[in-house]
Amino acid sequence: MDELDRHLEQNEVLEDDDDSSDTSSRRGGKKLKLPLVKPMCVETQRESGFHQSCRMCLELIREAMLHHRWKEAAEYMTSYPQILEDKTSRTAQQYKELVWRISTEILHHLPKSTVEDYNIIYECMKHSGVKHYLMICLEHSFHLMLHGQFEDAKQHLSAAESWRYGKESAAQLQRTKLIQAYRSLLDYIIWFDKKFALSNNNCFDFDNQGMHNYFRQASVNLKEILRNPGVWDPFILSYVEMLEFYDDWEEALKVLNDYAFDNSFPPNPNAHVYLFQHLKRHNAPKKKLIKVLKNLYVLVPSHELMLEYSSLLLQSEKKSDIQKALGVVLEMLDFACWRSNMDVWKYLQAIIHKLQTEDNWESIVCDKMASRKDWWPALHFTSFHACKDSEENPELLEVKTSLIKILCPDRTLKYSVELMTSGE
Amino acid sequence: MDYQFPHQLFPSFYDHGPPDLVLKHSAGSWGCYDSVTPQGGPGPLSSWKIMSRHEARGETWCHTEPVPVPLLSPKTAFLGHLQPPDPLDATKHLQNFFTDHCQDAFGSMSDILGENFNFQFGKRKERHRQDSVSMWRIKNHLDVLKLNVCQQVYRSTTMTRYCSLLSSVVPDIPTELLSSLLYKELQEQRDRVQFCEAATGGALAFVPFSEGGGSTSQHGCLLYPGGQGLDRLYFHKVALQQHSRTSSCVEASSSDPVSFQLKAPVRQISCSALFDDCCVAVRSDHFCGVWRFSERREPRLLQVINSGEVTTCVSVSPHVLGEVLVASESGAANLWTVGKGMQKVRLEHSNLYFNAKSPWRWCEFSAHPRVMLYADRTGVELTDMRVSPCSGHTLFRISSSSECRRGERLILTRYLGDIHAFHHLVTTQYSAYIMDERFPCVPMLKCDHMMQSPPVFAHMIPGSDAAAGETRTDKVLLGSHRSQEVTLLQYSGGRLQPCFSRGPPQALLTPKGSLKHLPVQIPHRLDTTTNRLSAPAAGVTCIQRKAGRGASSGESMCILQLTEAGDIFYQILEHKLPDRDTSGGPAAENQRAKKLFVQRKAAEQPPPEAQLVASDTPGCEDAIGPTQEATIGVETPEKEQPRLSRSAVSSSAGSEAESRRRLDAGMKDGDVAADECRSQQQTAVKLSKNTSAAWKRWLQILIRKSSEKKPRSLQHFTIRSKGLLRLSHRDERAASEEESVENLRRALKSCMSKRSLLVNGAASAGAAGVEPVPHPVDTDAWTDPLSQRLTLSWQGEKAWLEWWEEQLGLNHQSKLEDLRRRRRRQKEAKRAAGQRLELSGSFTSSVSYQSALDDFSSSTGWSSATSQGAWSDTDGGGVLSQLESSLKHENRRTATPSTVQSDSPAPSPASTPRTYKRSEPQTPNGRHTLPPSQAQSPGATTASQRRTKRPAEDHLGSLFTAQEDPAQTDPPHSPAAASSSGLRSSQSVLVKTPRGALSTVRGFSQTLSPSLGSQARPGPSQSSQPKKKSRMGF
Repeated sequence: MDELDRHLEQNEVLEDDDDSSDTSSRRGGKKLKLPLVKPMCVETQRESGFHQSCRMCLELIREAMLHHRWKEAAEYMTSYPQILEDKTSRTAQQYKELVWRISTEILHHLPKSTVEDYNIIYECMKHSGVKHYLMICLEHSFHLMLHGQFEDAKQHLSAAESWRYGKESAAQLQRTKLIQAYRSLLDYIIWFDKKFALSNNNCFDFDNQGMHNYFRQASVNLKEILRNPGVWDPFILSYVEMLEFYDDWEEALKVLNDYAFDNSFPPNPNAHVYLFQHLKRHNAPKKKLIKVLKNLYVLVPSHELMLEYSSLLLQSEKKSDIQKALGVVLEMLDFACWRSNMDVWKYLQAIIHKLQTEDNWESIVCDKMASRKDWWPALHFTSFHACKDSEENPELLEVKTSLIKILCPDRTLKYSVELMTSGE
Repeated sequence: MDYQFPHQLFPSFYDHGPPDLVLKHSAGSWGCYDSVTPQGGPGPLSSWKIMSRHEARGETWCHTEPVPVPLLSPKTAFLGHLQPPDPLDATKHLQNFFTDHCQDAFGSMSDILGENFNFQFGKRKERHRQDSVSMWRIKNHLDVLKLNVCQQVYRSTTMTRYCSLLSSVVPDIPTELLSSLLYKELQEQRDRVQFCEAATGGALAFVPFSEGGGSTSQHGCLLYPGGQGLDRLYFHKVALQQHSRTSSCVEASSSDPVSFQLKAPVRQISCSALFDDCCVAVRSDHFCGVWRFSERREPRLLQVINSGEVTTCVSVSPHVLGEVLVASESGAANLWTVGKGMQKVRLEHSNLYFNAKSPWRWCEFSAHPRVMLYADRTGVELTDMRVSPCSGHTLFRISSSSECRRGERLILTRYLGDIHAFHHLVTTQYSAYIMDERFPCVPMLKCDHMMQSPPVFAHMIPGSDAAAGETRTDKVLLGSHRSQEVTLLQYSGGRLQPCFSRGPPQALLTPKGSLKHLPVQIPHRLDTTTNRLSAPAAGVTCIQRKAGRGASSGESMCILQLTEAGDIFYQILEHKLPDRDTSGGPAAENQRAKKLFVQRKAAEQPPPEAQLVASDTPGCEDAIGPTQEATIGVETPEKEQPRLSRSAVSSSAGSEAESRRRLDAGMKDGDVAADECRSQQQTAVKLSKNTSAAWKRWLQILIRKSSEKKPRSLQHFTIRSKGLLRLSHRDERAASEEESVENLRRALKSCMSKRSLLVNGAASAGAAGVEPVPHPVDTDAWTDPLSQRLTLSWQGEKAWLEWWEEQLGLNHQSKLEDLRRRRRRQKEAKRAAGQRLELSGSFTSSVSYQSALDDFSSSTGWSSATSQGAWSDTDGGGVLSQLESSLKHENRRTATPSTVQSDSPAPSPASTPRTYKRSEPQTPNGRHTLPPSQAQSPGATTASQRRTKRPAEDHLGSLFTAQEDPAQTDPPHSPAAASSSGLRSSQSVLVKTPRGALSTVRGFSQTLSPSLGSQARPGPSQSSQPKKKSRMGF
């Protein structure tokens, strides 16, 4: 009966939540039926006393944990694992994961929990079911890594790498890849350690071969994981560093380019930043740098590197570049975090100085300011801003005052008036 | 520096496509690190620092009180449904409508039909109503129906006929239509109670005023709706004050609030302050208004707009004062520049990514003043307002890239500008996501908030800037509507470091849960207060006080929660610095060892010691205390034994048992640690005097307020008894008597006012007479056991003891012997008497069999007609008065069998049930095969002879003996037996008509068993058959 219910329920869920891209009109359709969270433990129709007490125990554990009463939760948790003895239910898998999660979380918060306690729980739960073996393995190695036990972590990961079990689900496949990648990351860390030792006493050129081995081991998996769409910042950084150490510029550049420009990847600003840094390290021509930064500008107009971008543009001789620089800096000033930044305002001043050498500079500025003129005054040039600027950074006040007339020529703003009163 | 982007993000896969994850265990992200990334430390191996996306521990915030404290005194309020209404109640609602608004329901038709009906009493008819039907009977009937009468019993046939004739004609609106509409409405209301999307955003806000520094209080303005329908907007200046080192409270009484009456209930309040100037936008269902105020200036209404559609969101710009985004159910998002007008910035008729069948829309500003977030249930898009054919870039969508679960929907988004200029909060039923608008599609952080109902309120609490090497921890408060939950999430990063959560979510206190910490209320008050306190939440906000202010205080925050009843509750959390509870050194170690030892001892010893320890441990009022669990720990090894042996059969079971045991061990270690931690820091927060006083006051006012309005209810139909009982005529009463009554009244009144007792002297002063000595008690007139016992107890302890022995059947054995002897003698006599008598005897015994059998059956599970047993208990007594007394003291019924026994002469040998029991297993099936006529077999005697073989030592035996005796001792045809007692009559009848076939037995057992209030299964009547059968076996 329960099974049947559950089955029906699942079917309902399937029908309810077709998240497929069905874009028919919403009007006339019925109102949203929000799938609400199911309570953690539902009373089933036919539950034995055992299930009932387990359910109540779980409820108490949950309450205690949510209110951060860890010792109370631990006290209840000593009796809860008996749910694992339950052979009647087909939901044993979920209980195993539940027990693992709750017990590790409680251990995190008990003052005297030891590494052995953790090991017991990780090891027990790891081997209690095949479906969550990889996940718990990964978490276990994370735990070891966080506590500085890199060697142990690597050992665990290597063991998990060689673990095979029948048919693999998509999630399992991804987890396998992650395990490989993290193992390689640990290889890299060891490699880096050796490199560091090498650089400290460079007279001994001993373990070069071992170091290279680590590189080879790491590179295979890192290269593999970089093929999958995702965010792989730590992996690509370590991979590129190793490649650069072995002077493989081309490969490094290729990897970075793929990471930045592959459309299946998420638009990661860091991808462009890494590419830019790589190019800059190897003294690439300015044109290339500008090109990379242009892509970054489209993605994140408020990025720190935009300062560099505008200075690069300013250095170039082309007229259009200066106009571009003006656009970049104005856009930066749109954002809250740059509004009172001295450097940006100074850049703006410099750009406008440079622009003023041209004939039609006023129209260019007007053009850029057209879309901003109705809200920029309120954003930058109110008496409140003047007050604040004069208190915090009088120099900024000067720079801004000098630019008011140029940026908003057709309006009288209170920013300067306030300056007079506060100056006196 | 918000413009910094993390140098490295946590690695994760990026998948397209709809989510298909179904999480089964509902433990959220407890206990996992999710992913890690190396940070900093390029150097030797030991210098590498790894950070995880979910850091195990965060800051410790502790409550100062175990309950939230009410801020304002309770006002009268309308409470909506607490339980979601059942659409099937539509008929009840219809009935109410018809009775309360009959003019609306039947107006027009009743005008037409009215001419043909005459409701006047009597036969007389007016001239123009010659043809009308006289309906005064019906009218009388209807008048009574207005009272609370039983509808099933009180009915009239005429009425029913008229009903069937006219019911389809009379209502102005066809009932079918009305009921189906009502049904739909109720359904919608139920959905709304379960999840109210109108309340999204929350109608409570706090605007802090800039502080001159040095003072220990945080001043600000609290904005909240009040009034009966939450349609009055209040601007109330409040202050979070700290009185001493420990206690702090919110001071609200210093100034009177400024208020504005609105036309509709306030749904959402959004405000933002720029340079001490605050702009407040208020949303009700169709209106939006904007106010402006500052610390010195009174609030001033700037503009109100009426949008045709239902507005779902209002959001004030944090960049430019006076810019407001308004979204409505039409799918439009408008930029409203106050004083200048509206500009449509986006219009979507359908949902963004898939059809979620929801008209709900939401807008928020972003880091760029001209880029806004446009959200619906399926996702969030960044929209540039300057581009005219508006288009969006996905910021967030329900998909597998953000590891959404199946069925997950977006509930709320919030711009977290105060925490990080580029961060947005997105909440769903399951999780809270921190999104960075510079890196759309991939959540920076995902936390499972573990709330029961979806979070519709959010409040950000920016962390105080990093103190010496500590990472700054920002907090987000999530609040749910129906279940009042408030959850605190902590996270860090977003600048140089990637975002990572700190510690698991923490649930805060709810008004609902506060009653158990308060003094106990009497039930009907408890009802009122429970209802009031469990009203759904309507908003959450926080007053933050940074560290370093004043002399003594650390960081603290005060979380305010508004309920739909208009009450505001606050709770204060204090930051506990981690380095305080450092305990080390040999002393602590020693103590720990001692503690351990004590624990082990407690575990080894039997319960009494454990009990002692249990009473020591504080705050464990729940079912499984720590010591109980310790005893469980002792038991486990034995328990484990069979399990392990079982595991020899299936290896997997064995490994699991093993793992469980090891897990147990692990947890036990932790437990010891926990115990120690308890001994070190007393975390149980006590209710302070101020708080309990505040609550007491609040509850008193609430009770007073609620007692003013009584709920409407129908009067009960009562027979008027006013004229029935009357005192003798007023004039006849003597004047002096009148006076004494008056005096008495006065005395009573004064006593009541003094709260003293009205003592006898004062009361009987007027009519003081000598009380006559009562007559001596005639002990023979009182034959019930209690009286007997009392009488006997005057004779001394021995008599009393004997009586008890008899009563409890302690002298059972000797009595039995006696009985057997007598029976034997009787049987011999019977044998001489002949066959006929024996037959009747067999029948009587069959009745007693049955009762015996039934009594047995309750233990054997064969058939359970316990009532029969009960009946026979009372029956056997033979004395009417005794019967009555035993019926009166029903609870003593169980004791009656022995009473019976002692009383009865107990002449006949009887343990028939045993015989029966022995023979029963031989014929377990085919009970119904035998015709009842054959049942009168003479086998009973043999059966009864066998009885003696078994020692009848138990109560039951004696009971049956007793029960049997009236039938056997009374002459079979005695009419006296039938008349002696109503209850006994059944047996007597049986005795009288021995050949009356089994049907009589059946009939009686059937009629009797329900009357005795039993839950007899068909058992009794059927069970009489197998008896015969069994006896046939002989």
